[in-house]
Amino acid sequence: MPTIRFLLTDGAELAVEAQNGRSLMETALEHSVPGIIAECNGSAACATCHVVLPEEILLALEPISEHENDMLDFAEAPRESGSRLSCQIKVSDALDNISVRIPAA
Amino acid sequence: MSEAVKVIDDVSFGDLLANPYPIFKRVRDLGPVVKVEAANIMMVTRFDDVMAIERDPVTFSSINPQSLLNTVIGPNLMRKDGEDHARERAAMDPSLRPGVVKRCWADPMRAICDDVISQIEHKGEAELFEELAAPIAARALADILGFDGVDWRTMALWSQSLIDGSGNYSHDAEIARKAREAASGVESAVDRMLSHHRDNPNPSMLSSMLQADPAQTVEQIYANIKVAIGGGLNETRDSILTLILGLLQNPDQLARVRAEPSLWGQAFEEAVRWISPIGMYPRRLARDAEISGTLVRKGEQVGLCVGAANHDDRRFSDPEKFDVFREKKSHLAFGAGSHFCAGTWVSRALVSQIAVPMVFERLRNLRLKDPELVRIRGWVFRGPTHMPVVWDA
Repeated sequence: MPTIRFLLTDGAELAVEAQNGRSLMETALEHSVPGIIAECNGSAACATCHVVLPEEILLALEPISEHENDMLDFAEAPRESGSRLSCQIKVSDALDNISVRIPAA
Repeated sequence: MSEAVKVIDDVSFGDLLANPYPIFKRVRDLGPVVKVEAANIMMVTRFDDVMAIERDPVTFSSINPQSLLNTVIGPNLMRKDGEDHARERAAMDPSLRPGVVKRCWADPMRAICDDVISQIEHKGEAELFEELAAPIAARALADILGFDGVDWRTMALWSQSLIDGSGNYSHDAEIARKAREAASGVESAVDRMLSHHRDNPNPSMLSSMLQADPAQTVEQIYANIKVAIGGGLNETRDSILTLILGLLQNPDQLARVRAEPSLWGQAFEEAVRWISPIGMYPRRLARDAEISGTLVRKGEQVGLCVGAANHDDRRFSDPEKFDVFREKKSHLAFGAGSHFCAGTWVSRALVSQIAVPMVFERLRNLRLKDPELVRIRGWVFRGPTHMPVVWDA
C-alpha cells in the first residue's frame, strides 16, 4: 500500500496509507484531509479537489484531459504548474511516498 | 437497532409552497428521514446525510425508468447513473466548461444583459421577474443550446411546461397536454437546427452533442436538450432575482460588494444557499439501507432536500439570514456527486459576473418599490416570482 503525504494549508503533513486503484481524492476523503471538498465526487465538474503534485510525478501520470485542464483554471486557489484535480489521479505504487500539497485559496 | 421513519401529517402542500423552511427545520429536528404526508415523500434534510447519499450512487440510485420525468421528456441523463450517465454528460460538458463560458459565452451574455437593461433603463421602475430575469435567462440559454431565433417567451413557456409536467403527480390533463406540446416544440426546434450545427461545428450544446464520441442518438439529443431547458432557465432566473433581493434587503452588504467586485462570486454562492432554486430532487434505494440509523427499504424513494440542507444549523449559523460574509463553507445548491449541476459555471458567470453587477451599475439607486409586494414561492423549485423595483432614471 503506497503512502501519500498530504501537505495541508497550515503547513502540517498528514501521511496516509492509500489503496491502489482508488483516486487521490477518495483517499483524501477517507482520511478527512482538510481542503478536499469534492462536491461532484469525482466527475471533474466542481474543481474543489485541487492539489499540487511534484513536477516529476506529473510525467508518470496519464496526460491531463481537456476537461480537467479547463476546470483547473477556475479552481479557487490559483493554478500552479503541478496543479491537478485529485479525483482524476489513480493511486499506484508509482505514487508511493509523494507529497501532495493542498493549495491555499 | 434502526429507527422507523417518522411522519409529519399536519402541514399542507400550500404551506410548503408558501414557505418550506419552517417545515424543513421541523423535519431536520425530528429525524434523518421523515415522511411528509402532504408532499407524499420521505425527506432527507440534514447536510451530512445528503452529502453521504450523493457519494453512494450504487445504493441511492438516480435510475428510474418509470419516473414522470422520463415519461414527459424521454429517457435522459438525470435518471441514469454510471457510464450511461457519464457518456451523455460528456456530450454536453464541452459547451459548459468554465473556460468555454469565459471564451465563448461571456460576450454574448453581456450583450443580452445590455439589451434587456437598455429596454427598461429609462423607465425608472420595473417588475424584475418578467422584465429582466426571465428574458436574460431564456435568451442566454437559447444561445448556449444553439437555438438561434427561438424567442425568449417560447423558451420560458417550454421550460415551465416541462417542469410542471415532470411534477404532475395528480395527473392533471391540462398540465400533461402543455408538457406534451412543449416536448414536441423542442423536438421540432432540434430537427430544424441539427443540419446547421452538423455542418458548422460550434460551441453550442447541440453542436457538442453532434460532435460527441460516441455519437448521441437523436432521442438522446431530444431528451437531454429538454433537461437543459427545464434545468437551465428557471434556476438562472430565480438566482438573478434572489441575489438582487438579498442585496437590496441588506444595503450594507451591497455597498461592500460594489466596493470590492471580487466579492460578487461569494455573494452569488450565498444567494443560492439562502434560497436554493432547486429545493429537492429524488433518489431511489437500490437496496435496503440506513440513513443515520433510519431504515429505508429497497425500491422506496427519498427526496434529497438540498434547500433544507443549505439551512442546516448544524452547519450554517443563522441559516435564515442572507450574509455574504458568513464563514465560508460549501453548500448543496448545485447538488453533489456525479449529477452536480452541469450549468454551474454558466450560472456563476452570467449571474454573478455579468447580469447582477450590470443591474446595480445601470439602475442607479435601485430599491424595492415596496417590500410587501415581493412574492417568493415554491419548494421543489423556489424563487421570487414578483419583484417590483424603482430606481433613479
